Amino acid sequence: MPNAIVKYVRMVDAVNRRVGRFAMYLVFVMMGVLVYSAISRTFFDLPLIWVVEIAQMTMAAYYLLGGGYSMQLGAHVRMDLLYGRWSPKRRAFTDSITSLVLLFYVLTLLYGGVSSTQYALEYGQKNYSVWAPPMAPIKIVMTLGILLMVLQVIATFFKDLAAARGKPLS
Amino acid sequence: MSYEIIALMMFSLMMLMLLSGQRVFGAIGFVAAVFSLMLWGEGGVEMPFSAAFKLFNWYPLLTLPLFIYMGYMLSESKIADDLYRAFHVWFGPLQGGLAVGTIGLMVIISAMNGLSVAGMAIGASIALPEMLRRGYDKIMITGVIQAGSSLGILVPPSVVLVLYGMIARQPVGQLWLAGVVPGLMLAGLFMLYIVVRCRIQPELGPPLPLEERQMPMREKLRLLSAGILPLVIFLSMTGLFVMGVTSLVESSAVGAVAATLAALIKGRLNREVMENTLRKSLGVSCMFMWIILAALSFGAVFDGLGAVKAIESLFIERWGLGPWGVLIMMQLSYLLMGTFLDDTAMLVIVAPLYVPLVISLGFDPIWYGVLYTITCQIAYMTPPFGYNLFLMKAMAPKEVTLVDIYRSIVPFVGVMLFGLVLVMAFPQIALWLPGVIYGN
Repeated sequence: MPNAIVKYVRMVDAVNRRVGRFAMYLVFVMMGVLVYSAISRTFFDLPLIWVVEIAQMTMAAYYLLGGGYSMQLGAHVRMDLLYGRWSPKRRAFTDSITSLVLLFYVLTLLYGGVSSTQYALEYGQKNYSVWAPPMAPIKIVMTLGILLMVLQVIATFFKDLAAARGKPLS
Repeated sequence: MSYEIIALMMFSLMMLMLLSGQRVFGAIGFVAAVFSLMLWGEGGVEMPFSAAFKLFNWYPLLTLPLFIYMGYMLSESKIADDLYRAFHVWFGPLQGGLAVGTIGLMVIISAMNGLSVAGMAIGASIALPEMLRRGYDKIMITGVIQAGSSLGILVPPSVVLVLYGMIARQPVGQLWLAGVVPGLMLAGLFMLYIVVRCRIQPELGPPLPLEERQMPMREKLRLLSAGILPLVIFLSMTGLFVMGVTSLVESSAVGAVAATLAALIKGRLNREVMENTLRKSLGVSCMFMWIILAALSFGAVFDGLGAVKAIESLFIERWGLGPWGVLIMMQLSYLLMGTFLDDTAMLVIVAPLYVPLVISLGFDPIWYGVLYTITCQIAYMTPPFGYNLFLMKAMAPKEVTLVDIYRSIVPFVGVMLFGLVLVMAFPQIALWLPGVIYGN
């Protein structure tokens, strides 16, 4: 593999690892916000109008920013009826094709994300609710998560290709 | 091209992609993206991302990562060990008693968590090695753990019923209560099967040797105190929710906090436990969320094709089925698809097609939710595609092979089908408890 590709794979892995390990802690934000809201309403009779949306936004950030890292962790299930019986080399070869197929899907996600974010920025879109927060910030975060996923899928493709040629990266 | 042919092509292409070893979310998402592009051109490009916003607005789905976190906190911190010991000592003397006790343990874990992951992890890491060491038949106990942990999605809290509630627009509180009696009934049937089987073939589950269970009564009673913790977690979570103190999503957050505090108080919360819990929670949550994201866009394409009408006319007009015929057909088709395709995705894709039909035929949607969940449990266990099978293979000791795992589920799937028929024939099994509590 050319040097530039090796460097790219290393960089994407490192960035997604960092971002993913940050996203990992967002589960505490969800817990904190929700328990705070329950306490505030039950004991102080103060319902909070922003809780649902903050929790929703945290959730969206959690799984989209965590996407790339979850690919690295190999967390996504596959059906291994045939796959499980193949030799490592055959698996790597098939993987390099399935990664390209996957790339198509995440690219359409990215396209939709960018256009939806542009719309939110242009028209100052607000969520349809009492609190009515602007939607652009969370859309930017979501699209960023998808972009990182795209980069990770490309890196995965290079890794699979290298393994299929018998010279695994890393 | 007729819409039926397009729908058939979508399913076949997805199947083909899955066979290639594609990641499940990739297979479903790719088919959805390609077909929405082909059918609606430029307007279809944005469909995959629109699904992200549908998901955004599915607020109750926040229970998913919180239950996953909680499940890993309970299994990684090993606070369930004490509970296992209690069952071990109290049920040990019985033939097959450890297996019966394991089902009991699974019911309690199910009452603390809304997924089967926690039960599976605890069962495979604590109960399985212990039973293997005592000469229990490995095929039987592998089945015990898979069947037992599958109760996690039927006994409240349950994430599958939350998903169903969102799709069918039914109150989650009632759905959860409807799952209680069928869940306990299934657990009872599992235990009955184990006891009878071990009566006939005593070598499958030898009783615990005398020296291991001889301890003073006071010690035995002290072990029962291990049950306090699950009770506290259950009451603070499902209890507060059913009483209307906390909302659904808040209650899952309370549960997650309670599990963390429990681990802290027991002195089991260290860096390693925290790191493993957080990392595994992120991985499993991402797996589920990306699958649901992809399945939602797949479902949107289906919706655009008018699939609900097509299925209705197929079942009622073309095949001339009565209401019960349709219902049985739906369960059978779901079981069949659940065997080969991803079960969570099936729920997101198929439930919106079936639920309106169920309601228009005059069936109770709460009751159908329970049927759906039991069918889901079976689908989770049946090869070649089932989460419980994957998890079991990943977590079980080396001597348990894939063939063992496949063979182990057969009798339990039989028991579950029997349970499914019982709930179908006697809807009161599901509807009695919500009727008593909510008075309808």
